[in-house]
Amino acid sequence: MEAENALVRMHQDLQRALKKPAERRSWAMAVDVRKCIGCYGCTVACIAENVLPPGVMYRTVLDIELGKYPNVVRILKPMNCQQCDNAPCVPAANAVAPGSLEKRPDGVVAVNYERATKEAFEAARAACPYKRAVYFDDGRFYTDGTPARQAYEMRPSFEYGKEWTRTAGKPPVNALRKCHFCVHRVENGELPACVTTCVGEATYFGDLSDPQSLIAQLLRENRDKVMRVYESKGTQPRVYYLTDTPVLCKSQHP
Amino acid sequence: MKESTAPRLTRRRFLKTTALLGGSAFLLSRLGWPSELFARTRLAEYELTKPENILYTVCQQCNTQCGLKVKLYDGLAAKLEGNPYSPWNLQPNISYRASPLDVATLDGRLCPKGQAGIQTVYDPYRVVKVLKRAGKRGENKWVTISFDQAVDEIVNGGDLFGEGHVPGLKEIWALRDPKLAKEMADDVKAIWAKKTPEEKKAAVEAFKTKYAEHLDKLIDPDHPDLGPKNNQLVFMWGRLKGGRSELIKRFTVESFGSVNAHGHTTVCQGSLYFASKAMSEQYQKGSWTGGKKFYWQADQNNSEFIIFVGASPFEGNYGPTNRAPGLTRGLVSGRLKFAVVDPRFSKTASKAWKWVPIKPGTEAALALAMTRWIIENKRYNAKYLSNANKAAAVADKEPTWTNACWLVKIVDGRPEKFLRAKELGLTDEDRFVVLQDGKPVAFDPYDTANPVKGDLFVDTTIQGIRVKSGLQILWESASSKTLEEWSAICDVPVRDIIELAREFTSHGKKAAVDIHRGVSQHTNGFYNVFAWFALNLLIGNYDWKGGMSQASTFDHTGGKEGQPFNFAKLNPGKTTAFGISIIRHEIKYEQTTLFERYPAKRPWYPLSSDIYQEIIPSAGDGYPYPIKALFIYMGSPVYALPAGHTNIEILADPKKIPLIVASDITIGETSMYADYIFPDLSYLERWEFAGSHPSITQKVQPIRQPVIAPLTETVKVFGQEMPLSLEAMLLGIAEKLGLPGFGQGGFGEGQDFTHPDQFYLRMVANVAAGDRPGNEVPDADDAELELFLRARRHLPKTVFDPERFSQIVGEKWWRKVVYVLNRGGRFDNWEQGYDGDYIKNRYGTLINLYQEKTALTINSMTGKPLAGYPIYLPLADSVGRPIEDEKQGFDLHLITHREIVATKSRTISNYWLLAVMPENAIVMHPRDAQRLGLSEGDRAKIISASNSEGVWDLANGTKVPMIGTVHLTEGIRPGVISFALGYGHWAYGATDLVIDGETIKGDERRRATGLGGGAGVHANAAMRVDPYLKNTCLVDVYGGSAVFYDTRVKVVKV
Repeated sequence: MEAENALVRMHQDLQRALKKPAERRSWAMAVDVRKCIGCYGCTVACIAENVLPPGVMYRTVLDIELGKYPNVVRILKPMNCQQCDNAPCVPAANAVAPGSLEKRPDGVVAVNYERATKEAFEAARAACPYKRAVYFDDGRFYTDGTPARQAYEMRPSFEYGKEWTRTAGKPPVNALRKCHFCVHRVENGELPACVTTCVGEATYFGDLSDPQSLIAQLLRENRDKVMRVYESKGTQPRVYYLTDTPVLCKSQHP
Repeated sequence: MKESTAPRLTRRRFLKTTALLGGSAFLLSRLGWPSELFARTRLAEYELTKPENILYTVCQQCNTQCGLKVKLYDGLAAKLEGNPYSPWNLQPNISYRASPLDVATLDGRLCPKGQAGIQTVYDPYRVVKVLKRAGKRGENKWVTISFDQAVDEIVNGGDLFGEGHVPGLKEIWALRDPKLAKEMADDVKAIWAKKTPEEKKAAVEAFKTKYAEHLDKLIDPDHPDLGPKNNQLVFMWGRLKGGRSELIKRFTVESFGSVNAHGHTTVCQGSLYFASKAMSEQYQKGSWTGGKKFYWQADQNNSEFIIFVGASPFEGNYGPTNRAPGLTRGLVSGRLKFAVVDPRFSKTASKAWKWVPIKPGTEAALALAMTRWIIENKRYNAKYLSNANKAAAVADKEPTWTNACWLVKIVDGRPEKFLRAKELGLTDEDRFVVLQDGKPVAFDPYDTANPVKGDLFVDTTIQGIRVKSGLQILWESASSKTLEEWSAICDVPVRDIIELAREFTSHGKKAAVDIHRGVSQHTNGFYNVFAWFALNLLIGNYDWKGGMSQASTFDHTGGKEGQPFNFAKLNPGKTTAFGISIIRHEIKYEQTTLFERYPAKRPWYPLSSDIYQEIIPSAGDGYPYPIKALFIYMGSPVYALPAGHTNIEILADPKKIPLIVASDITIGETSMYADYIFPDLSYLERWEFAGSHPSITQKVQPIRQPVIAPLTETVKVFGQEMPLSLEAMLLGIAEKLGLPGFGQGGFGEGQDFTHPDQFYLRMVANVAAGDRPGNEVPDADDAELELFLRARRHLPKTVFDPERFSQIVGEKWWRKVVYVLNRGGRFDNWEQGYDGDYIKNRYGTLINLYQEKTALTINSMTGKPLAGYPIYLPLADSVGRPIEDEKQGFDLHLITHREIVATKSRTISNYWLLAVMPENAIVMHPRDAQRLGLSEGDRAKIISASNSEGVWDLANGTKVPMIGTVHLTEGIRPGVISFALGYGHWAYGATDLVIDGETIKGDERRRATGLGGGAGVHANAAMRVDPYLKNTCLVDVYGGSAVFYDTRVKVVKV
């Protein structure tokens, strides 16, 4: 499999998946922790793609050091919304802000920016066992306080296939924000931003219901190395991790 | 061509105002535009995957120069991706033949700095009009002036600042007759060729008599080898690639006639380049010449074992995007394991089979220890090493060969010259000698007909001449100490040394030593590099798949057959620059009329060039001569150099350098000392030919091209409109001076050079033509041509005019140029990088295990000859004295590292990167912290023997204390501390400045912690000033490197 170009293969997988009816696609992500070099390319690509404000990072990388000199171990583990099939955030948020979160048939937990208020955010955050998954857009801009706010922060994002220009008082400002597997890119035939940019070739994405897809093959062929975070909590996350040391990797999740 | 005149987008007007204009125009930037900018109908579709909204170019957030795919939203660079055509971004890259219309949804990989690049481009602190200082140097008070006024003042000089007369360039441009220059240059060479001081003196007198009428054109008639006054113009640069490189050299060297055009190589990994240059020197017509300023890297896509020494390809060192996938795939598939030799547990080390936290500065000791074990245990490739010439190598199917078996004469116990066959009476021809079964045999290293092999270990006397083989000399150096003794020096356990050596010699040709700054930026850097690269020679892995690889590029300068525009012949006004350079490079001290005694006043660098840390300090000392004008392009020596604070004192004094002109996109730590700042275009607004790196095995030429409208002011030069830029500055000055090689007929009869496009488009055509007839790219078809025009509909005529473009290259090349630019350059397909078990684009010649040229060079500071073979040298100052600051209580060894989210001097404007890592830290081991009473998160100051106050003195009344936040980690060798480069700024938007009387507030997110900001510490000013030179850092006097890693410091809680 080494000679193969994973991005090209997944891009082909994606075009095949898009020929299927939307409700029969099953998006999933896999992160090969052994290949993550902790570069934060995914973090920044995501900020750029989704025009994220200060304080919002859909995707982060945990960098954990263990051991004593010179026997040191460093675990580098990317983290984003796990798009759980049994997502505790959905009922919690919808209880305080009806219609704010929706579990889509393709697996993505989607945010309705018009309804996902601060209360929805707080409820979701409290319900979600995964830290660093849900964020709140408090309306700031990175270039405020400089000689001029810059246009790159004011261009629209295309999340959920709509056009969102951040302006005070209008969504997604004052709304819950989180990873959505870049469905706006995916539905236009392009892989998620964190996947295409992944310098270590650690991040995989595709249609789990397609046995021919690279992600399905990867998970099938590495059963002994696959883990999901907090599997015991029954959340059924759609983000899989591949590691040589599942116990160690699991134990280090915040 | 009509459709090219697409309607100008009004939006561009607004984008232009988002940068720092100064004065009232600057105020405008804060008012009004945002609401207008996106007041438009909602888009129905995701615009960013449409081919007409995509342009391909080259990143420059660091020097890896990855391919870029720029997604445009109404002319705004909205999102950056990796270019899938480029082998940097996709491995394997997509076929070069694929149409850009078909691959719009396929993105390549890109690192976080690449992703954040638009924040460098759209930096609110960018300058867009010419600035002139309105206060003292470094006071950061400016006025905006017109381009024409700036050019006029720089050319004509005068009392420009109320501080007295400033010489203009017209005064410095003293020698203008190319014929006279050539004649004088030849006579200077003749002076250097004279053997005795008396002969030299007589030659100088003869020179003065011959040129009696022209002595006023010389810097010093008593030392004609200083050259003409023209040399008092110095042009220095930081990051510079092809295209702009030829332009700067055309201006400074070819047309103006100054020898002083110098790059920054030694601040990066100079001794890596120049040790490799020495290893690649070839014997031509009786002398060693043609050594390449280059180096090798591992072919990580196919290696089975790599030792990274002082290198972290996951964080820097021409990575990670191009190198990481080959490494991570190899780790997971089981193909590869690697070791990391580094005092710090880098992210690369975190994936390593073995982390070797070596004592900094002892790298050669470890290499020689491994060499000893490998030779002792006969694990070297004897077959490879015994090939004395090309024919023998070819017979062995080896692309390269060495001089391991050549005989070297031993004089008074010291290896000197190679034995020549003449000396034994074997032949009258100039031939070298090997022993074959004890009998001397003459040979020509490049002979393709008669294979000659030699005995590997020779220590004997032939006809009364004491000789040893090159490998014998290496063995003696390696066995001068036991493994235990070497281990004690480098503090690597013997069992680790053996394990590294055994593993390295267990994979045939698919093992490699891959080294970088951590090896070269020491006072002994040259020999560290030599020792490690000699290990690669022991297994003969050069040019082998999985072994050592060199870079390979499509030539843009037109030197190859079939290329349409040969730039070597496109300057009819070319003159001959001559004389000793301000950095005294590529000339031996002893040959010059300045030779007096040892030590020389400052080091001479016969084996190196581009010695960055010597430019400004030499000007400060007026050695070898004072300079009158300094141009600085895209470089910040103050910030980037070790002990860069030494440069401030000189830059701030107009008596030392009367005129300083900077070309910069912002007001940085060095350009703040300029008299004039010419705003430059950022990397998304301009041209460059980015070249390649050794680990890329494919032949390539990535091309940087304008993908957004220029943000700088439009000016008129030679009657043509163009954006303010390096090009406008040079063309404008050339026009005013009447400099040959520019303007009407600048390229020759009927070929004008009045617009930058005339330079760069010709180069694109050369790349399109390829290396030989038949190597041209296909013509762009109609659909591709249409896409080319539509995707550039947002670009103004100043930078994109298809009529102008096509006229420059002519009909024959136009569609090929379009084909190349539609893909962001030219890239061979992945498989074209290999040829069976070999790397396709080969180095393919002799590699010197013994360096005769080096052995015949004298250290200008000690008067002692250099060793021509790998040795371990203890750390020392420029005159060879040990540095013993630890005896004064400076108990910690300071090193630096790179975080992937920062590039030295120019990513502090990238707020997305600061979101990931807002500040750097003083990184230390808990054991040291405990001893010093420091805890995680404490604030502490770094001081050293040459900076006991622990500050940057900005020479404007401000001092920046080197205070940072302590971070504790088990991942660093106790006794060593480190900080990440790129943080702790005091310029580049970090502090307040005044333009046209208005104060512009700095941003505390960029500001040094010591100034009350949140951006951490830049501790280069703690690095040791050389005790003899006194105004520059410690140096490697052999390879030229600026020394980053040999300073002892104290960390004091504040």
